[in-house]
Amino acid sequence: MLSPDDFVEVSIPADGAYLSVLRTATAGLAARLDFTLDEIEDLRIAVDEACAMLLQHNVPHTSLTCRFDLAPAELAITVSAPTADGKAPAKDTFAWTVLTALAGQVEASAGGPDNLVAITMVKQRGGAETTAA
Amino acid sequence: MDLYLSTRHEGDRTVIEVGGEIDVYTAPKLREQLVDLVNQGRYHLVVDMEAVDFLDSTGLGVLVGGLKRVRAHDGSLRLVCTQERILKIFRITGLTKVFPIHQSVEEAISATD
Repeated sequence: MLSPDDFVEVSIPADGAYLSVLRTATAGLAARLDFTLDEIEDLRIAVDEACAMLLQHNVPHTSLTCRFDLAPAELAITVSAPTADGKAPAKDTFAWTVLTALAGQVEASAGGPDNLVAITMVKQRGGAETTAA
Repeated sequence: MDLYLSTRHEGDRTVIEVGGEIDVYTAPKLREQLVDLVNQGRYHLVVDMEAVDFLDSTGLGVLVGGLKRVRAHDGSLRLVCTQERILKIFRITGLTKVFPIHQSVEEAISATD
């Protein structure tokens, strides 16, 4: 049984060869939350795009971390990695366009130790978008 | 899962069958194939994406790069794709207006416009 504050954290080498592992983990967790097949596919692509953006400026021999926060009808995913330039991802790219179209809410943050850049996305089950509280 | 490529010539057209996953890791293999074909003088390419399981923006970038290369030689790059989840990525990025997208390889090969 899923508990409201369950989270899963996956850490992989910051290397594109491991992205398929994260996509599989994403699909598995989204399926457990009863997301539809279309929503699962959207999340798989969104996580992949977010990670690919971070890997463009990755630092060799570091890790990329992906944290999944599970709620009954919502999956929040944060991917983060140290980068060479510490800059938030450019928003005029195919990658950002695809990510924001598929993931619902998306936020990027940069700065802190190791030039860490993080991208957080929140996807509601059933297509219901979060409204401002 | 990896990327599988198979190429065959049909007159002046070259059909590239792509299968598997196109992502940041595998896309360079597709880019290399497209560049090689253009370098061999093959300027009319048909990329059959019916066996593609996954496509991200890295793959889109490679296809756009291929299109630029063939257009520099008055060539063409046509896609064959009927999978809704793959077409969605082309729609989101507006690339359905850039690539001719066909229902079958036969249709793509015989297309002239």
